[in-house]
Amino acid sequence: MKRKTKFAATVLALMLSVSALSACGSSNNNNAGPSNSPSPSASTGTEGEAAKDTITALLPPVSPKYQENFKQMEADFNKLYPNLTLKIEPASWEDMTQKLDTQVNAGSPPDLAFIGSDGISKYAQMGMLLDIKGLVTPEMAADFDEAPLEYMKNGDGLYGMPAYMEVHAIGGNKQMLEQANIDWKKVQQQGWTYEEFREAIKAGVVTENGKTRYGFVFATAGVASKDYLSILVKNAGMPSPFTKDHKYSYTSKNYLEVLKAIRQMIDDGSMPKELSSVDAGKRWNMFLTGQTMITGKGLAVFENSANQNNKKIEANDGSAVADSIAVDYLVLPVPSFAGQEAVSHAVVDGYVAFRGKKEPTEEHKANIVKAAYFLASGQVAATTNADLFAAHITDSAREIAKTMESTRNPDNIAAVEKMLEHAAPARPDIPVELGAKAIKVENEVVIPKLQALLAGEISPEDMYAAVKKAAIDAFGADGVVQE
Amino acid sequence: MMARASNIKNRLNKGDGAWAYGFIAIALVVYALFTAYPVISALLISFQEYRPLGSSFNGIDNYASIFKSELFGKALWNTLVYTVLTVPVALILSFGVAIMIMPLKKWAQTTFKAIYYLPAVASGVALSVVWLWIYDPMPGGILNQLIGLLGIENQNWLGSSSTSMFSLVLMSWLSSHGTSIIIYVAALLGIDESYYEAAEIDGATFWQKMWHIVIPCLKPTTLFLLVTGVIGSFQVFQNAYLMTGGGPDHSTTMVGLLIFDTAFKYFEFGKAAAQSLILALIIGIIAFIQFKFLGKDVEY
Repeated sequence: MKRKTKFAATVLALMLSVSALSACGSSNNNNAGPSNSPSPSASTGTEGEAAKDTITALLPPVSPKYQENFKQMEADFNKLYPNLTLKIEPASWEDMTQKLDTQVNAGSPPDLAFIGSDGISKYAQMGMLLDIKGLVTPEMAADFDEAPLEYMKNGDGLYGMPAYMEVHAIGGNKQMLEQANIDWKKVQQQGWTYEEFREAIKAGVVTENGKTRYGFVFATAGVASKDYLSILVKNAGMPSPFTKDHKYSYTSKNYLEVLKAIRQMIDDGSMPKELSSVDAGKRWNMFLTGQTMITGKGLAVFENSANQNNKKIEANDGSAVADSIAVDYLVLPVPSFAGQEAVSHAVVDGYVAFRGKKEPTEEHKANIVKAAYFLASGQVAATTNADLFAAHITDSAREIAKTMESTRNPDNIAAVEKMLEHAAPARPDIPVELGAKAIKVENEVVIPKLQALLAGEISPEDMYAAVKKAAIDAFGADGVVQE
Repeated sequence: MMARASNIKNRLNKGDGAWAYGFIAIALVVYALFTAYPVISALLISFQEYRPLGSSFNGIDNYASIFKSELFGKALWNTLVYTVLTVPVALILSFGVAIMIMPLKKWAQTTFKAIYYLPAVASGVALSVVWLWIYDPMPGGILNQLIGLLGIENQNWLGSSSTSMFSLVLMSWLSSHGTSIIIYVAALLGIDESYYEAAEIDGATFWQKMWHIVIPCLKPTTLFLLVTGVIGSFQVFQNAYLMTGGGPDHSTTMVGLLIFDTAFKYFEFGKAAAQSLILALIIGIIAFIQFKFLGKDVEY
């Protein structure tokens, strides 16, 4: 009996040791194994004798119903390409970046990940992206609108396929805007200057029974921390952190004007003094509960969320946001500053292709492209963008969407189209090293100083000086705009 | 010598020695894989510009950039302030609670120990959500309503440099003393009753017993909790990450969070490895000083 116990313990111990050791030697799933060895038919659409292969994709909840459709998407892809398997790993928005970064740094990222186009330079600098330019067929490329596809480029490379192109706008409560005598239709079509906007949000402030309804609340805490300033400065003559001759632009005098405006709106009482602690969830709650007339940032999908909540209120559904009121959500443009042209902050997110430590086989690369195109076009894109209230950017999705019913407010559709006409163009020319330095300046100096500015701890001039110093340290005196 | 070696070999073959070495080997392998290897790897990476697709040695550049960095200095200072404010108070609170529950009946002691230990079982993320709710900056926030009763205006607890560090410290003061309390209670139970009896015969008061019996007898326990508390505090990451993200204006950026940001925001793994080794060195020096000056007359 004792011998048996010892034997069993030894076997168990050996198994533990072997499993621990084997974990260290797990292979990179980007590298085609025996089942996905090269095949002459890889780059074609026909799958007659093609070898089996699995494409992995790390996908967040892109739209409210997106993750519910994963099983269907996997099945449809397999039906289209019987030799291929699409394996989707779901992730929340909160842990998407961390999950991806961990996998990238371990040298074994997924084949595809849904990320913003602004993340491309970060991964390109590490050499972990897969250039799919030579693998995308002319038919695939022709299906996409040109502007969003440009966002997936960096230098000469194309690293993914866009899912949608949206603009970061702001959103207003129709009833409150009308109460404040704001001609929202005119604003939607012609835009507004900061001075007009400032007066409008002042008019939106109402104090009743000791409680204040603000004119404007923008999320500035948590994941939204970098949005506020980067959206505003686009409308102040800085559509990109770099000028066309690759000088860092946030040292421009107009940057200081935007910082002053940020402080003014709080000092006017149009925005809460606690703004630095208002995160995305909090400000949406404030909007739905009637604590603010205008909120930011705004995406087209917010109209959908507001409509859903309105329905719940009407039906006395207990799952409606507590204390919420019926809201007609209006898409509004961000104001322009310092006499500059308004430039919308375009958001292009999509399916970006990654590679592992070992070079993937040509067949596997071609299969990754097929999966990316499957997700970014046709039925998947049509369903997702309809759910998001986002404009379609492929002909194939547009065609399918014709049969779908839309409940979008036509005024909002027109406003978004107008803003897309003024969207900041893609900047694939910015070298990855400069892009990485700009991200570091943003994280180490801009965001922390903005928090202090919002909290009233430093002046706009202090922040401007700090950003300028950090920029000169990072890019050199000749690498920044000097005015 | 030969005979001795032969003797050991025989014991290994015939007795339980072989089994013992087998089991020790498992622990050793696990330690080597999950502790020693990462530390050695971190040391090597700290002299490299790390890239997943091929790193290159860059000498002491990573260390040099850390010593030039104002942010690292600020993070170190923040960590020191956090440690000084949290560790002593945590020890005093744990000691006080342990003393208070000692005279209680066993079931009452167990109940209190379980209650105080509960936060250690709960997820840190869940606790942070609760604290974020407490620290809601708007007038309707729980803590703001409380101070509102005293006529004080609502505070932007986590969003202002003047209150953000205090908010994290307060969170530490009011949670996670369970382990220390249990250790103190166990140590209190280990004090021989005869000391108290002798003191009572001599007419000692409660405070005299506390000063002359309890505190000296608990010195090894206090030293242990102090050293482990300081180590834990210097490595603090979760609270700042979840509650403030290090802000505003880096007022709550601790070294642990800075290492995380360096590695996972900027992908400067070489620099992050160097930062973590410097942190380990600082912790080692502080622990050495604590043992040197406080552990002189401590026997284990």
